[in-house]
Amino acid sequence: MLTILILMPFLCGLGVLLPVSKDFRLKLFVAASLCHGLLTASFWKELPASEYNGFLVLDPLGLILLSIISFLFLSVAIFMIGYFKHEPKRNRVFIGCLLFLLSTMSLVAVSYHFGLLWVAIEATTLFSAPLISFHRNQQSLQATWRYLLICSVGIALGLMGTFFLAIAAHNVHTLLLPVILKGASSLSVNWLKLSIIFFIVGYGCKMGLAPTHSWKPEAYGQATGMVGVLMAGALTQCPFLALLRISQICNKTGLTGFYSSILIVSGLLSLVVPAMFILGERNIKRAFAYSSIEHMGLLVLGLGLGAVGLFGSLFHMINNALAKVIMFLTAGSVAQKYGSSKTDDVKGVIHIYPVTGVFLIAALLAGTGVFPFATFHSELLILNAAIISKHYFLAAAGIICLALMFIGIGKIVLGCIHGQPKEPLLARKENIYMNAAIATSVVLLISIGLWMPLPLGKLIRNAVTLVGAV
Amino acid sequence: MTSWVDAICIIIVLLSLMILSNYRVAAMIRVFAAQSFALSLLPFFLRTSSISSQDVFLALITMIVKAGLVPFILFWAIRHVSMRSEIKPIIGFGASIIFGAMLIAGAFWVSLSLKLPDRAASDLVLPCSLSTVLLGFMIMVTRTRAVTQVLGYLIMENGIFLFAFSLFDVMPVLIEIGVLLDIFVAVFIMAIVVNHINEEFEKNPACVDRSKMGETF
Repeated sequence: MLTILILMPFLCGLGVLLPVSKDFRLKLFVAASLCHGLLTASFWKELPASEYNGFLVLDPLGLILLSIISFLFLSVAIFMIGYFKHEPKRNRVFIGCLLFLLSTMSLVAVSYHFGLLWVAIEATTLFSAPLISFHRNQQSLQATWRYLLICSVGIALGLMGTFFLAIAAHNVHTLLLPVILKGASSLSVNWLKLSIIFFIVGYGCKMGLAPTHSWKPEAYGQATGMVGVLMAGALTQCPFLALLRISQICNKTGLTGFYSSILIVSGLLSLVVPAMFILGERNIKRAFAYSSIEHMGLLVLGLGLGAVGLFGSLFHMINNALAKVIMFLTAGSVAQKYGSSKTDDVKGVIHIYPVTGVFLIAALLAGTGVFPFATFHSELLILNAAIISKHYFLAAAGIICLALMFIGIGKIVLGCIHGQPKEPLLARKENIYMNAAIATSVVLLISIGLWMPLPLGKLIRNAVTLVGAV
Repeated sequence: MTSWVDAICIIIVLLSLMILSNYRVAAMIRVFAAQSFALSLLPFFLRTSSISSQDVFLALITMIVKAGLVPFILFWAIRHVSMRSEIKPIIGFGASIIFGAMLIAGAFWVSLSLKLPDRAASDLVLPCSLSTVLLGFMIMVTRTRAVTQVLGYLIMENGIFLFAFSLFDVMPVLIEIGVLLDIFVAVFIMAIVVNHINEEFEKNPACVDRSKMGETF
């Protein structure tokens, strides 16, 4: 089953590269996302068996990520039906890369070998890079370049960490996760510490944690909204899975304190840095990129704060993904309608496009964690974990940064919603597909904010037990 | 066998220094190819027992990808473009060498305190690999041309590989090939982006400063 999950999008991606019609490519993408979604949904009933001698295993942690990936691709696919109606551009490379991205991200979710995990994460970087320069111009190419180079170097450091882990685990002769966990007592602690540092720097770079976040505003600012969704919601959460796996090892080897302290520092930094930069920002997508840095910081912070924080983090993974769907798809829809995402060009959204205007407000509330959106609960859980573990200063700093983010994003979004549009725009009608994709996420995010479904709660609890945090 | 491994390690570091002190892009790519070739010979000398077919396979794949395909793509990337030489590095060539030497000294000093498990073939593997990684880093941050930055990244990868080869019974060969494949695709995509950047430059008549061609920032 897992092989099908990975191979199916890959083969579809190859099919897309053939000379076929634009419509067919789009249909194939929608069909592939739908099949992927159905397969993933079937895993909620029963986890599939491991494959290739335990190299591919789906556990609760992987299932959370896989579900996020699947849902995001499905939303984007539905959004794209509407988007490409107004977009005359060719879509061969774009859709091909999307499908390869789906395939490699699924591989990240199910790989149980640290080497394979690295290969998959690096592959996601490579296939996402061409997506950024869909509108090919100088800025977008520069953004692509910066993304490619910074992330490749970061991930190369992750590879170094993987090899250091291999030295630490030289007694067990493999990098398979269960074997390492079983032989945890025989790991060499010094090499393990070194590998942890390299892992955090490397995969943190890919997540866009401060101070290696500089590719994020550029890339998200230039990419179309759909790519923004996939990058902010799924791609950056893939390396977080790697950090969760390392956390499993740390909890077994008594290095929890060492690991947590690094995570807390980098998490706090990723909260402070975007809060400082957001206030001067004048572009919706770039502002949302800063919000993404902040959310990654929250994830890492939660992971560093023990079991309660971890529960919050895993819940936040889901909420962050849904919030990013609302934020970036709305931003993409606005950018297509106005031909720009700068606040100076985008004015009076609610007067011309009432539905998109409402979504933009929803994006503001969801992205900054306002009740009843579920991001509120997960942020509260993480801050709560900080207070439980007596990090009062951390909690206070977190609240201040979140407030600053609210002010910053609020200023930008409200500025776009109100005001008079400068010149009469081409009156394009709202598109039902685009709006349906966004509306689904709004409804979902509000409903899990009001009531957490039992299977979801059970899955997250299982995942917390699996990591073994206390 | 250890003396061969030592020799290869030293050659790899020296070749990185050579790239650091070079300013012609084509020469840099050739030196990189030579470095990768030296690296790909390493699996033959690591085992004290007889050489297995796995070693030969890995060496061949590394040779084909790193010493053959990657330089080929890089040459393709610079063929149409007038960016044959590195004009203005952020740090001059003389200073680069001195900094590079300091980095090597630092790498040796750091690796004194890191003790490899007894399986490592030679004491030089760890310090040499760290030096190469650091030199690659330095090339990347001090050079302004896109292609030179890619070269810096590749040298860094070579450093990591030097390290990886000495412990590759932990990594299945398939995974190593996956890593190589990733690097190959990375260079391929980077070359395409470099080409697109240059096309945009040529489309834009306002940008007549040709000495800036191929610069990324």
